[in-house]
Amino acid sequence: MTQATLAAPTDTETKPDDLRAQVSALSRSLDEPDWLLAFRLASLEQALALEWWTGQEESWRRTPRERLPRRATVGSLGRATNGAAVNVPSHVFAPREHSGMVHQIGGRVAASDLTDQAAADGVIIMPLSAAAQEHSDLVQQWLGAVGQPQDRYEAFGRALWTQGVFVYAPRGAAVSDSLFYLITQDVAEGDHWHYTLVVAERESELSLIEAGDADHRQAELADTPLIHASVELIAEDGAHLRFASVQRWHRQTAAISTTRGRVGRDASIRVTTAAFGADLDKQRIDMDLSQSGGYADIRGLFVGDGKQHIEHVTRQYHNGIGAESDLLIRGVLTDESQAVQFGLIQITPEGQKTNAHQTMRNLLLDDGAGADPIPMLEIEADDVKCSHAAAVGPVDPDQLFYLQSRGIPLKVAERLVVRGFLSEIADGVPDAHMREVIDELVEIQLEPAKASV
Amino acid sequence: MTPTPPLFEIDALKVAVEDKQIVNELSLTLRPGEVHAIMGPNGSGKSTLANSLMGHPRYTINGGDVRLNGKSIVEMPPDERARAGLFLAFQYPTDIPGVSMVNFLRRAMTARRGEEIPIREFRQVLNDVLGKLQMDEQFVRRYVNDGFSGGEKKRAEILQLGLLQPLVAVMDETDSGLDIDALRIVSEGINTFHTDENAILLITHYQRILRYVQPDHVHVLIDGRIVESGDASLAEVLERDGYEPFMEQTKEGVLSS
Repeated sequence: MTQATLAAPTDTETKPDDLRAQVSALSRSLDEPDWLLAFRLASLEQALALEWWTGQEESWRRTPRERLPRRATVGSLGRATNGAAVNVPSHVFAPREHSGMVHQIGGRVAASDLTDQAAADGVIIMPLSAAAQEHSDLVQQWLGAVGQPQDRYEAFGRALWTQGVFVYAPRGAAVSDSLFYLITQDVAEGDHWHYTLVVAERESELSLIEAGDADHRQAELADTPLIHASVELIAEDGAHLRFASVQRWHRQTAAISTTRGRVGRDASIRVTTAAFGADLDKQRIDMDLSQSGGYADIRGLFVGDGKQHIEHVTRQYHNGIGAESDLLIRGVLTDESQAVQFGLIQITPEGQKTNAHQTMRNLLLDDGAGADPIPMLEIEADDVKCSHAAAVGPVDPDQLFYLQSRGIPLKVAERLVVRGFLSEIADGVPDAHMREVIDELVEIQLEPAKASV
Repeated sequence: MTPTPPLFEIDALKVAVEDKQIVNELSLTLRPGEVHAIMGPNGSGKSTLANSLMGHPRYTINGGDVRLNGKSIVEMPPDERARAGLFLAFQYPTDIPGVSMVNFLRRAMTARRGEEIPIREFRQVLNDVLGKLQMDEQFVRRYVNDGFSGGEKKRAEILQLGLLQPLVAVMDETDSGLDIDALRIVSEGINTFHTDENAILLITHYQRILRYVQPDHVHVLIDGRIVESGDASLAEVLERDGYEPFMEQTKEGVLSS
């Protein structure tokens, strides 16, 4: 797909006092508990003290920063819902088997459910603002508990959110089918700030699939919408948490997400992300392995086209004995799309017996496409196993020749190889229907004349 | 009686790899129902010949012609050659992780036939050929050649031969790396496939597969040329004396014209 160069997004400098007033008003209008207002205001002060970026940071140097709006506005609470006012096509990710779900359109909750079995087990999935009232103590205990904001986007994300979900599995609970958090980007609302908090208590098991979609019919927007997602994943000792995120935001969107995971003793967190939409998608994924025997698995897949920029900035932080982590990113780039992977394995002196690996592979299907995978190791322990591999290149000509020699035309052969290449990542998504959806989205992205549906 | 028209003609073919001339004016004619064996030592151009016939982009045909049913194929991309009825059994089949055999086989059959094959019919044909090759049905759930043993790879090639029913099958060292049982099964697969309507070009280093698949003609390939042709007994001469006498002759230039 050829795509016109987008106009630079509008930066807006809101006065700190105005922001403080807006955040207070928002919190009051939502009847939030006092601790939450305090949390928002403290995050706001952190944001004001931080930079958007200086451009010198390793994690920002390769980002086309001119395509990111520097803008902070309190998130929308959703447009009025009187009939046709909100005209959004049905969500492509509509789940089949599921234990529970929340669907938000812009700042509005469109649907929410939970199976009787899951409810009886004490499982929670509900909009974050509702959870802050109904399960105030739990949310207060965990919100923002995994690490401090690293930059202005993340800090503002904690202060300004109006959308979000709280997912909780009590001790020993095993949630059978996946839980879903569906987000429909309402482009008429402008920027979106959302917050996902997932807590798996001791010995519990749950999986959450977060899926973002948009109304793609309006191709050109007046300004670049910003979407920031804060995701916090907590797996207490012996818990197993799986999180998958699939985004197909509006093509003009600048998307930033910050996913933080904290892995308990003998616990695991598996994260799989799939990026299809947006003009720029910058995903930061940070896994904290400070307990012994923990496991973290980070997998990312993407298919870029046009002038898309897709970036992964990851950290596997090993600060406990005998923990393991894997990073596996695979992407396909067409047209003039670009990818960056900056992956850090960081092992402190406490991280003996660590087993940590990274693999980044980028397939370039067109001459104008490019990728810059950068694995980094910072190791302060002496008894560890680490490996990293990074590759950028075209589809293996021998694979294409083999398929062609069986009568399969070159373009079809290329498609087969590419889908096979990505399937290893998609297989990490804990829902069969969702894997099919991802496969379809891969097809759509690879199709030169894409339908805007 | 007029002889049957040729099915596959290699006509003064020249093939180069990165400016190095590997195959030199090689000519060979296969008629329907025939089995030809090309035997040659390492480096004689066997694999170059096989790959260039199928149209591998690394090999440049810089002289001569190849005709299938009287129609030149040298300008065709590999997939068009395959759809026209040419098949190459690879010496080293390529693994394609993430692509299941069953998906691949169905697409290949659809391409070869020029129309979608109904799923029931596909299953039937597939199970039939799998049975003949003593292969488990679970085999086709695996990814194409991914993690296959040497024997499994060769059997998978024969499986494709049986499903695609080409007119001309070029078998590139299909016997290499097979134990005696696998060799017999693979050979039986080739014999089952072979009819009066198709032709087989066996490319091999050793004579042993020729005990199971009877060739009508045997050719000796040295330095990219056929230096001697004969009937099946030529293979026995090679088995006894090796390639050395033929290489000596080539050096002396006796057979160079």
